[in-house]
Amino acid sequence: MSSIFLSNEILIFLFLQTTIYTLLLISFIYSITILRDWDFKKSTVLQYKLEKRSYLVILIISFSLFIKILLFFYFIFSIDNLSHFVVGAMCAAGIFSLEYGEISLFLKLTNLFFIGIWFVLNSLDLKRKDYKYTKIKLLLFIFIFICLTFEYILDFKFLLNIPLNKAVECCSVIFETSSISSKIPFGLVNSSLILILYILFVLIVILNIQKKSILLLFFNILFVYISYFAVTYFFSTYIYELPTHQCPFCMLQSEYYFIGYFIWSALFLGLFFSICSVVFYRNNSLDIYKFYKLSLIFTTIFVFLVTFFVLKYYVVNGVFL
Amino acid sequence: MIVAKNISKIYFEGSKKEFYALKNINFEIKKGSFVIFKGVSGSGKSTLLSILSTISKPSFGEILFDKEPVSKYPDIHASSFRAKNIGYIFQSFNLFEDLTVFVNVSLPLIPLGFSQKDIDKKVEEILTLSNILHKKDEIVSNLSGGEKQRCAIARALINNSNTILCDEPTSSLDYENSMNFIKTLKELKESGKTIVVATHDPLFFELDFVDKVFELKNGVLVE
Repeated sequence: MSSIFLSNEILIFLFLQTTIYTLLLISFIYSITILRDWDFKKSTVLQYKLEKRSYLVILIISFSLFIKILLFFYFIFSIDNLSHFVVGAMCAAGIFSLEYGEISLFLKLTNLFFIGIWFVLNSLDLKRKDYKYTKIKLLLFIFIFICLTFEYILDFKFLLNIPLNKAVECCSVIFETSSISSKIPFGLVNSSLILILYILFVLIVILNIQKKSILLLFFNILFVYISYFAVTYFFSTYIYELPTHQCPFCMLQSEYYFIGYFIWSALFLGLFFSICSVVFYRNNSLDIYKFYKLSLIFTTIFVFLVTFFVLKYYVVNGVFL
Repeated sequence: MIVAKNISKIYFEGSKKEFYALKNINFEIKKGSFVIFKGVSGSGKSTLLSILSTISKPSFGEILFDKEPVSKYPDIHASSFRAKNIGYIFQSFNLFEDLTVFVNVSLPLIPLGFSQKDIDKKVEEILTLSNILHKKDEIVSNLSGGEKQRCAIARALINNSNTILCDEPTSSLDYENSMNFIKTLKELKESGKTIVVATHDPLFFELDFVDKVFELKNGVLVE
């Protein structure tokens, strides 16, 4: 077989994916039966049965979705690890540039946000004595399950098509320096990109203090978008300490102390909690301020981490790249 | 006020062995009253008490405690409700035989987050009230039936719950210990607690402080 489909990492990943998917499929079927007949106001045999069943189903869903979060990191780690076997690839970037790679990664990331919201909703429901959010929680799970089905199919399509005998592009080609300006949005150059990033950060801090959830979410989305390019085309050069090395994936490797996992996690968690501050805005039983606080903390960690590498480089070498 | 609305409990539901342990039970128990559920073994008394205490759920119908539908609570909330509001004295005491009286009585306080100092104080008080303080460091397996009963009473009272449920409380006691136990229940009633006793012991049926006696026959309530 001329692909990495049968490598240990991929087989382990797919085995876990299939196991979790099976559990989710069972939960999906039961969720539909629960939703169909659920009426908390009733004290019938059926309703009591559904309440008992929902407890078990939600336990299975919680476990499976938690494993899905861990699997995401394992997936990235495995793809990065396997890049050594793929001709031309130096990191996960080369593999993700293949067919279904980017869409698969994007879908996985999006699903993580939905899963996160499901967990917040679940914790909210567990505090209630009247199962107030059980229905909406199960409906959200059904939606997540459909997304995960697409993800599962894409995983197979993507992993089956990673060739071992055909050269793929490496990150230095994908994110090559000669054409940076054409890749950065709005025709920005690095300096203006970084300026916008810090202005957005200041705006986010102000909006966070003022608790303007919708505006905060808007600027957080913009911040994530700009951050992606800023990290890829500017900050990464300081992390790798090489002006020609621009890549959002190489920083996930052990050579860079897996710092990429922390950088990207902090960025996306900042966005996630600002989404929560909008989604759960009207909920009185939740401490909404906690979401603002967490969003600010993670966004600040992200800014601190990326800035740290620039300052460190300047302190050590006396110049900027 | 405790209200039972159309409570039924079905065992082995949907199988050939299916039977109703309780069938369409309705009653009201006023705050501070002393109520007895009498009936022969297998009449459904213990099942009813376990549903009243939220240990188990009915197959249908509901239990309201001060208008709160506690039988519908999710397990985690039912446990929390039970820990704060119900004292339960089991037929066979259900004490940890290898632990001391002190530890057995202190156990319900641990999940409620009391400090060790508060636990020590409360346990000493309740052991004094239950007249078993002198045995506080004794392993439960070394106690007599009457002493175990007093230990079980102390454990049921430790949370200062307003409702005490007793399931065949005198079944393993001699006459003297039974009368002592009944005296304790009377004192508890006088202190404003609601007492519900499931029993077939005739000693209970002639008590002058009993407010209501319900009779259970094959899972059906006969007032």
